[in-house]
Amino acid sequence: MKILLAEDEKDLSRALKAILEHSKYAVDAVYDGQTAVEYASENAYDALILDIMMPKLDGVSALKQIRESGNYTPALFLTAKAEIDDRIAGLDAGADDYLTKPFAMGELLARIRSMTRRAGTYMVKKLKIGSVALDTAEQELSCENSIRLASKETKLMEYFMTNVNKPLSTNEIFNHVWADDSQADPKIVFMYISFLRSKIRAVNGDIEISGREDETYTLRSVTDGDAD
Amino acid sequence: MNGIYGEYRPVLENIKDEFEKRIEEYTQKEYEKSGIRIYEHLIARVKEEESMCEKCRRKNLPETPESAMKKLHDSIGLRIVCSFIEDIYKNIKYIKAFPDCKVIHEKDYIRHAKPNGYRSYHMILEIQFPCADVYGNNPGTFYVEIQLRTIAMDSWAALEHKLKYKKNVANQELIIAELKRCADEMASCDVSMQTIRDLITETEN
Repeated sequence: MKILLAEDEKDLSRALKAILEHSKYAVDAVYDGQTAVEYASENAYDALILDIMMPKLDGVSALKQIRESGNYTPALFLTAKAEIDDRIAGLDAGADDYLTKPFAMGELLARIRSMTRRAGTYMVKKLKIGSVALDTAEQELSCENSIRLASKETKLMEYFMTNVNKPLSTNEIFNHVWADDSQADPKIVFMYISFLRSKIRAVNGDIEISGREDETYTLRSVTDGDAD
Repeated sequence: MNGIYGEYRPVLENIKDEFEKRIEEYTQKEYEKSGIRIYEHLIARVKEEESMCEKCRRKNLPETPESAMKKLHDSIGLRIVCSFIEDIYKNIKYIKAFPDCKVIHEKDYIRHAKPNGYRSYHMILEIQFPCADVYGNNPGTFYVEIQLRTIAMDSWAALEHKLKYKKNVANQELIIAELKRCADEMASCDVSMQTIRDLITETEN
């Protein structure tokens, strides 16, 4: 699982990064709100941890921009100020949880686990990229034709559609989509990419998943007409 | 009275047999090349005289050999049922290469499924056959309708056909919606099976 950490206090950021990495999370650390927005638009994360008071752009405004771009990655605020107004503004901006400093590391880790477990339950159920629509409740992919998807295909398609134009590594995909399946082998990623590619063609979709086996994959719209 | 096909009935049977023979020939050739039988089974028929007459009446055409063999194009019909989607397109490639035939109409309901979920490839061929036709031309011009589909599409179409000709089906709207869902699920299986076959073949090579 990959986490974006936006915290301008360098010492705290370093300590958090070390502990999160020790707990097997991959961490991108940034030190202001503006950079957090940029990172969130270029990479796929499983959780965002944001400080409220940051230079350039505060955490609440940063999360607002992230949410406006259609990004619903679970987010948690860290704040030094235990003021109620800050917490309300943060939650209303689209945060899922908050912690007031100082906090116990064990509690932060538990809240991250809780938040990522719930991820997707409140998600938009209808996604659309180009002319291709995904209905996650019905597991249906449609464009000119419609076709049913298997449950993992739906989850994979949802991951691509909520991270359009971002390169996703085989590992990131595997950890996100097959997180609940300890028997799975990362080799399965390419097979499911192949299924989705064929199914996008079967509905005459104007999107494509580029990338080669075991490398990174990106979902894009193709503008030059029929994908045939 | 000779029936709606008149003296041409044997010619139609001959053309039907000729097509069956050609399809078996190229399938054999393809099998020797790739180890794949590109069709699973084949149904060929000359349309029953009774249903041809009924069709003429429905289309407001006189019940004559001309209507049956010139105005309408399905006096000879073939259905080629394949195991995999790509096999359908291989068959089409071979059929289009028949030197005495011309495709006068084709519709790809696989890439462009009908709203109810129906999937198949339809084509109508015009063939120059060394026998006189109703206009006295020799070689004569005859028509053959060909439908190509996978086994899954075929069983779906059979069920849908049953629904279409049955009146007063209980919960009709619900059944139509569920049948559409089945079509999309079967299409999903067809596409996945094709993809797995491709992945296996890639590994072999």
